[in-house]
Amino acid sequence: MKRLRVLGFFWGFLFAVCVLPAEALDLGEALKGVVIGGTAVTSGQTGEAPPKTEAIPGEGKPAFSLKSPSREQEIDIGREIAGNLLGASPLVDDAALQTYVNQVGRWVANQSERADLPWRFGVIESADINAFAAPGGYVFVTRGLYRCLENEAQLAGVLSHEIAHVVRSHHLKILKQSQLLDIGAGWVGKRVGTDREILRKVIGSGAEVCARSLDRSAEFEADRMGVTLTVRAGYEPYGLPEVLQTIGQTGRDESRVTLLFKTHPHPDDRLLELDESIGNRLDAVRGGKTLGNRFYRLKP
Amino acid sequence: MKIHAFLLTVLLAVPLLPGMCRAAETGRALKADVLRSAPYSDARKTGVIVRGETLQILTKKGAWLNVKNGKRASGWVRLLSVRRGTAGSGSTSKGVLDVASGRAGTGTIVATTGVRGLNEEELKGARYNAAEVKKLDGYAQTPRQGEQFARRGGLRAVKFAYLPEPKQKGGRR
Repeated sequence: MKRLRVLGFFWGFLFAVCVLPAEALDLGEALKGVVIGGTAVTSGQTGEAPPKTEAIPGEGKPAFSLKSPSREQEIDIGREIAGNLLGASPLVDDAALQTYVNQVGRWVANQSERADLPWRFGVIESADINAFAAPGGYVFVTRGLYRCLENEAQLAGVLSHEIAHVVRSHHLKILKQSQLLDIGAGWVGKRVGTDREILRKVIGSGAEVCARSLDRSAEFEADRMGVTLTVRAGYEPYGLPEVLQTIGQTGRDESRVTLLFKTHPHPDDRLLELDESIGNRLDAVRGGKTLGNRFYRLKP
Repeated sequence: MKIHAFLLTVLLAVPLLPGMCRAAETGRALKADVLRSAPYSDARKTGVIVRGETLQILTKKGAWLNVKNGKRASGWVRLLSVRRGTAGSGSTSKGVLDVASGRAGTGTIVATTGVRGLNEEELKGARYNAAEVKKLDGYAQTPRQGEQFARRGGLRAVKFAYLPEPKQKGGRR
């Protein structure tokens, strides 16, 4: 079913590409219309909305702004990235662990503005210390990072940071920035590619978006929101800072933190930034739980 | 008589041992801050810490650490002003924080046989794995299930506004 929808996306896209006037002056704008119109096919199968001014000539598809993609479109993009990431690192084969992480993650996500998303959490098979988020509510923690955790509040802190990336659409913004340029280049080169190539234009190849750096400000924002969500969920607020403390002790030249340190500000800088933001705002927060006793420990 | 005194000393000392063990943790000041007599921001000032100096961490209480800096002073300081542990080669900063951090890359590496890391090339070349996505779906929880799970752990939702962006940019850039 899912596959069919993706196919629909491709054919819609191809069709839209074919009818696009090649001599469009503002290529970027025109291509935005293409991607958008094409993607809208997935959700526009039943109701036919009237075309907006930017719609492709001769097409009855609703124009769709990537500035505010539909919930379904966002989930589709995230699911594709998540599937690719799982292609590189599968889930740790431990149903109890995966269920536990989904329980904690779901409860924390309930405290955000996007509680409506079909949140999915997973621990993936990698010795690296890292965590990833993809649009639409996909969140992954590596086995290496999970091993650093000591209690449920810390897990909640890590998941909260990633949940914040999803809530603020940080990765979607990154995709948007690069996508138009990439498609522009491909268009000038050879007009139309295969289905696979076109999909890569949208999300990049594989899960490369997971290896891309966000703005430092986006990371700091996710830290602040992460601490906030942890507090809202009733946990001890310092779960995330404690994990940052632990990661900060890892040497920069250790390979298991190479990607994390490359794509994120150093934990020390993140702690200082958090400190500036927190001030005495957490002093009144009482009764937060750590839940070290219920924390699911990995088998050695 | 002498033996009794000895035994008494040993018996009295034993309960203190765990506390002494914990006192071995050290940390480093991430920034200059004030030491206070109690873990509250309005408690009496007992001293200061200087950025980069090594601290002995005695205990932790909520957002506060009870620390001692050598012979000079002891007191409570905010958790976020201190980086726990002495390992690591520090951040982008140069100078005092980089001193005495030559331990990077040794000691803490765990056995990782058979488990890969994730580098950019691997991520770029990754292929969609439908079976794993299906498994992932199978573990998903509904909002209601999340609530039930929280209740079992005694967690209660708290109203709390998002923390603001700091006005004055902290940290080393």
